[in-house]
Amino acid sequence: MKNKYLYVALIAATVAIASCKKSFTDKPALDGTTIDNYYNTADEVRSLTSTLYGLPWSGFENRAMDCIGDELAGNEFTGSGNADDYPFQSFTISSNSVRLADAWKMFYKIGGWTSEYMNALTIKKSKGGNPTFIDPAIAECHFFRGVVYFYVARIWGDAPIVTEPGRIILSGDFNIPRYFKADVFRYALEELKLAEAGLPETDPQKGRLTKYAAKGMMAKLYLYTKDYANAKAKALEVINSGKYMLVNDYAGMFNNSKNNNNAECLFSIQHQLAGNPWGTGNQKQPDRGPGNLQTTEASMWELYIPTVDILSAYESGDTRRKGSVMEHGWSFPSWKPTNASNAAYNTFMAGGYKYDTIQATNAGGQKNETRSNIAKYVVGPGSGFGSETVLGMNTGLNTPLLRYADVLLIYAEAILGTAANTSDAEALKYFNMVRSRAGLLPKTTLTADDILHERRVEFAFEGDYWFDLQRQGFAKAKAIILAQNRGTTQYPKYITITEDMLTLPIPAAEVAQDPELAKPAVKYY
Amino acid sequence: MKCKLLVCMMLSCMLFSSAFSQTKKITGTVSDEKGTTLPGATVLAKGTTIAVKTDINGKFSIEVPEKTKVLLITFIGMQPEEVGIGKGVTVTVTLKSVAALLQDVVVIGYGTTRRANVSSAISSVKGKDLKDLPVAGIDQAIQGKVAGVTVDNNGGQPGGGVSIKVRGITTINGNDPLIVIDGVPFYENTRQSSGYAGLGGSNGQTGNSVMATLNPNDIESVDILKDASAQAIYGSRAANGVILITTKKGKSGDGKINYDVYYGQSQIYKKLDLMNLQQFAIYQNQVATTPTPEFADPSKLGKGTDWQDAMFQNGQVQNHQLSFSGGSDKTVYYLSMNYFNQVGTLIGSDFTRYSTRFNLDHQIKSWMKVGVSSNANKAIQHVALSDAAPGAIWDMAILNPLVPVKNLDGSWGGGANNFIPGVQSENIDNPVANTNLRKSRVNTMSFFGNVYAEIKFLKNFSLRNEVSYYYGPYDNVAYQLSGNVGPRQLNSQYSDYRSTYGQWTLRNYLNYNWYKGKHGVSATAGHEAQYNYSQSISGKKINLANNLLDLNAGSSDQTTWELGGGKGDGALESYFARGSYTYDNRYSITATFRSDRSSNFGLNNPVGYFPGVSAAWTVTNEKFAQPYKTIVSNLKLRFGYGAVGNFSIPYRAGVGFWPGPVGFGTSSYLNGILNPDLTWEKVITTNGGVDATFLNGRIDLSVDVYNKSTASMIFIGTGPRLLGVGDNWDDLKGPVINTGKMTNKGVDISITSNNIRTKDFTWKTTLIFSKYKNVLDKLAGAGSAIYGKVFYDQYLLTKTIPGAPIGSFFGYVTDGLFRTQKDLTNSLPQFGYPVDVDHTWLGDVRFKDLNGDGKITEADQTSIGSPLPKFTYGLTNTVSYKNFDLSVFVQGSYGAKIYNFLRWRLEKMDNTYSNQLTSVLDRYTATNTEATLPRFKTGQVNNVAVSDRYIEDGSYLRIKNIAVGYRIPANILKRAKIANARLYISVQNLATFTKYKGMDPEIGAYNNDIRLMNVDQGHYPNPRSFTAGVNIEL
Repeated sequence: MKNKYLYVALIAATVAIASCKKSFTDKPALDGTTIDNYYNTADEVRSLTSTLYGLPWSGFENRAMDCIGDELAGNEFTGSGNADDYPFQSFTISSNSVRLADAWKMFYKIGGWTSEYMNALTIKKSKGGNPTFIDPAIAECHFFRGVVYFYVARIWGDAPIVTEPGRIILSGDFNIPRYFKADVFRYALEELKLAEAGLPETDPQKGRLTKYAAKGMMAKLYLYTKDYANAKAKALEVINSGKYMLVNDYAGMFNNSKNNNNAECLFSIQHQLAGNPWGTGNQKQPDRGPGNLQTTEASMWELYIPTVDILSAYESGDTRRKGSVMEHGWSFPSWKPTNASNAAYNTFMAGGYKYDTIQATNAGGQKNETRSNIAKYVVGPGSGFGSETVLGMNTGLNTPLLRYADVLLIYAEAILGTAANTSDAEALKYFNMVRSRAGLLPKTTLTADDILHERRVEFAFEGDYWFDLQRQGFAKAKAIILAQNRGTTQYPKYITITEDMLTLPIPAAEVAQDPELAKPAVKYY
Repeated sequence: MKCKLLVCMMLSCMLFSSAFSQTKKITGTVSDEKGTTLPGATVLAKGTTIAVKTDINGKFSIEVPEKTKVLLITFIGMQPEEVGIGKGVTVTVTLKSVAALLQDVVVIGYGTTRRANVSSAISSVKGKDLKDLPVAGIDQAIQGKVAGVTVDNNGGQPGGGVSIKVRGITTINGNDPLIVIDGVPFYENTRQSSGYAGLGGSNGQTGNSVMATLNPNDIESVDILKDASAQAIYGSRAANGVILITTKKGKSGDGKINYDVYYGQSQIYKKLDLMNLQQFAIYQNQVATTPTPEFADPSKLGKGTDWQDAMFQNGQVQNHQLSFSGGSDKTVYYLSMNYFNQVGTLIGSDFTRYSTRFNLDHQIKSWMKVGVSSNANKAIQHVALSDAAPGAIWDMAILNPLVPVKNLDGSWGGGANNFIPGVQSENIDNPVANTNLRKSRVNTMSFFGNVYAEIKFLKNFSLRNEVSYYYGPYDNVAYQLSGNVGPRQLNSQYSDYRSTYGQWTLRNYLNYNWYKGKHGVSATAGHEAQYNYSQSISGKKINLANNLLDLNAGSSDQTTWELGGGKGDGALESYFARGSYTYDNRYSITATFRSDRSSNFGLNNPVGYFPGVSAAWTVTNEKFAQPYKTIVSNLKLRFGYGAVGNFSIPYRAGVGFWPGPVGFGTSSYLNGILNPDLTWEKVITTNGGVDATFLNGRIDLSVDVYNKSTASMIFIGTGPRLLGVGDNWDDLKGPVINTGKMTNKGVDISITSNNIRTKDFTWKTTLIFSKYKNVLDKLAGAGSAIYGKVFYDQYLLTKTIPGAPIGSFFGYVTDGLFRTQKDLTNSLPQFGYPVDVDHTWLGDVRFKDLNGDGKITEADQTSIGSPLPKFTYGLTNTVSYKNFDLSVFVQGSYGAKIYNFLRWRLEKMDNTYSNQLTSVLDRYTATNTEATLPRFKTGQVNNVAVSDRYIEDGSYLRIKNIAVGYRIPANILKRAKIANARLYISVQNLATFTKYKGMDPEIGAYNNDIRLMNVDQGHYPNPRSFTAGVNIEL
């Protein structure tokens, strides 16, 4: 049995091999890093807040923004067979609406992201992170959180406010109440104030937020709370800064991404021309572009088209019409769409894209229910067809959410206040700047209706008119909507709304998960 | 006679030149159980060295001393047999194959034991009991064969996903059991493939089976550890049960060549009752505000396109398995090659597998044995986008029958809203065109195996060292070819995802076995270290030159490129030990312990400890039981208790980076919220069992009852969306939390009855019955629940609140329709809507006011059904008569509910353009007030609310497999030098008895997600197939 010792040695060796070092199971993630060893430079910190400008907005921007901002308002039309969108035209919106769910999800998602970003950045500061670039990033978060709650208050009225998602989940108590609409507005305002205080005067990166974006957004919010004095003051701060101006090429702001972050933009959703990650590109083009502009590079399915009502809203000679709407005779000569299997089409489009409602549809004609399409956010048929590059559904165009024109009209409206009309020189000056850019004659007095009308055509298809209607109060909103033809010329349709329709239902799935939402609102402050 | 004997004796004296005073001569024949004689068997006179071998006819003749009483007959691969010779001179010996003996061996993880010593809940299936099933993977093969194991095919996709659940739903996380093949662990049996998201279409098809990529024909046995006392040896990986697979080994003796082949054809057995063109035209004329002019006279129309006929085809399956096995007394080998090919019934879906296995065991020294078990596989799968909406079947069902598959000019039909001027259609693609132009192809390779050395030393000790390895390159390409669908042009796109996964395990353990008298002890102790690594890279380009499927052929415009990747690794270090003690074959007790240190838990709780203990009492070995042995020949009572865990975490908190530009360009994001207190998920099982054999082995019964309790479940904490964090890819993830409690109480019963056992005729019946009751007892806090949403518009279909079974459907309870003005007048306000033709009106669904507050609101939603069956069963009858054999396998599920989400879409009636079921012809109208379905209404919202209107009974009984075989008689085969040959034909899913209205009641779970079980989102039905096969042994 002399092998005995060999066996003992073997066992000893085995046991020696068997004990791994403790570091064997110490495996940090290989595809990411941690806040401990990241966010040490301005660029690193700004790469975090950069995400807030783009991708997460897509859930709202892509469709819900059309449904709520323009379809409810009578600017956009969709086929009655379209079960997801049509309810916004007919005011039969259910709490199961996917568009509402998308909008809700997106606003609260940005709310959650900003809350956790601020939390992480605060922790980073406590671990020695540099406040000179962390503090402005926190201010950016406040801006975004303020903006989304501003939307929430306008869309749903009474609504929940969430500032610590991680803590709530660890606690397991999801019984979060709705707070009064006024408190949601106030919360949004407080956030914007923090943003205003922390954001820089200027930023070397075009499109990044500055103090003036916060001031402009505050001016708009003050208008909704009828605090005209503050609305006027904040709008004036933006005007007096001299940092913004109206650009001459109105149409170009919405059909060419080289005009992204132009001199008129205070705040835009920043898009990248990319399909991955999903939602980083602008996906408005396919929902708006006419079917006869579709190519192998660019999708077009015209989910939303202008209503006959908005077509009739333009004053004669308004140059914004061509920038906003495609109608018979509209053309874009540098776009040269072709279709491999349709010679008649290619012949018709040989001299560039033509919008023609007489030509047969299988030969390049375009005939939809209102014989028109939305031109805004349509950048063209793709790089192989004479426009900038398009990736299927995606374009690289930014979506402005606050333009200088808005600030000017806010300023005029704040001066008007509750008066029946005004001839205030300042109000007229800035109001008429917007009109003259559109090639229209100046006004000499202003009424609330003048301003409302100007806002409608200036911001048509930009997702804002519903909120303008809503803040007119129920009686006036009802009358305006009742006067709108929401059908077609051949089959007109008129709708009477009830007061509760001014705010939209909270998504059913949310109420199911948080039954407190079904209960009356409570105070936040 | 006397004379003869004398001559013999003389002869023998001469032959042996021995001085035996007295000998006797014994002659005889040795054969196997089938009656085949065995040449070359050794016949030894016990107590002597005298031995002879049988001749070519299995006959022997031996001279033995007069005092010899016993002959010992041995033959390689057979159980040795002792024969008393008494006064006889002629004996007939039947040897039993070792395989029969092996049936009593149970694989228990890091070792084996005799069935008699098992005190925990372990079920075993032998490979030969799974024959004649033309299935891709072992996961499908065990359906209905093991009590306590519920198997559902998640769809008819070849190589498609399979839900295996060991004893109910263990956790809200993945429920795939740990599968260990010859020591190589497989943690997940579900793998997702790319959809078309990157191609501008929709995403979502259910995941596919990992087991399908491995060859099931090499399997010798499957042992399933069902309770925690048995599972504890696998510790933190065993929460969902452990399936131990042992592959075939060679046997000493003459080499064997086996060739098995089958071929089959399959069809779907049921079509949906969709409207044809005439019916659709009449329907649209009635409901559309602007009817299609072409529909003015429906009688002039034909039947239009039957999209089901266009999308379904005859499927095919074929399998070839060639194996070589054999060995000498020191070396055994097994080598096999397999080719499997299946073409699905849905166009564009198929699956092909090539695999080879080599097993070798060699006794290198008297004290050392070494061996290898190795496997190489390649599987290629084309995945059809089904079982998710939108998807091939969903689109197929709603596409207008006016749309042609192909236009007259040969181009694909449809493709745009106005594909025919003036004709409105649902804006969905032609699914046939899509299937032809777009593909998702998965190419899975795997190389894995186990190398061991076993050293015996001292007395009773052995040390086993094992290295197991796995290397798996995987690629998945999704592409779209350039082409036209009607007026719509598609550009070519190509996305290519490639990944590799590697894993190694180093395992050393010591075995000790000691027997003395009535006492027996066996012990195992060891150490295991495991490391795994994965990496991936993906790229995408568009506008491929000449439709060439290569990244280099794509456009050079870099703005159109996509590039991404990923990496991860993990390590696990463990110590384990098991000790058993048996006394007098009456009492046995086993204790197990394992500790696991995982890289997933670096903070406060890196190590988990998992104990298990079980005991058994074999009553029939007691003296007092002896008189009853003719009735109860075996009765064993078992009891087990133990704890196991789950260590998989969904993500590691930190900073991540987007694969492409976001916001201003390169962007980082927070990947979740850190929870420093994260710990192990714990599963505790108590098991009680009885094994009994009655009537001299005629009836075997095994019953187990268990209580399995899961606590501290690991999941991404989410809640209502208003929290702002979630668990989708583009969410900031909620913190990973431990919360909740879930229990499964159940009973597993298996009964085997040998009804008839005669020489020519045998009939055996096996009944498998599994029943469990699942309850989610507790979640993190009041108001929290588990939600299941489908991809289609993120519809919330399931919500499990504490007290309900997991995956419960959630919605409104319907109360008929508003049929009369009186109904409307008495109606409660529904969702705050006024009573008018646009909102609540005649012909609308009336919902029940469950909370009695006088109005219908979200608060009136409730649990409206459970997707879990009350019980499942399998009944196998095998009959053999002379050379014929027959097996009839019936399998079923009772009491599960299905949410028929496809019917929701097909009876939605809110859209004039999409096709619907013919049932909508009986919808409410002014003249059809007694209709079964509500009215048509565009933009209507009440009628399509998630409600019990779409809940259906998912019970089914299925004749799963009937196989008839014929063994060609040996005398015919002999001439062809064939040892064995059997022909068979079989039919799968011959008949399904169910009330379910969809295509197939066996739905399974979307991506094996227990939040989406039994949701029919356009389910790829399991087909009916006919197969013929041959087994040949040379």
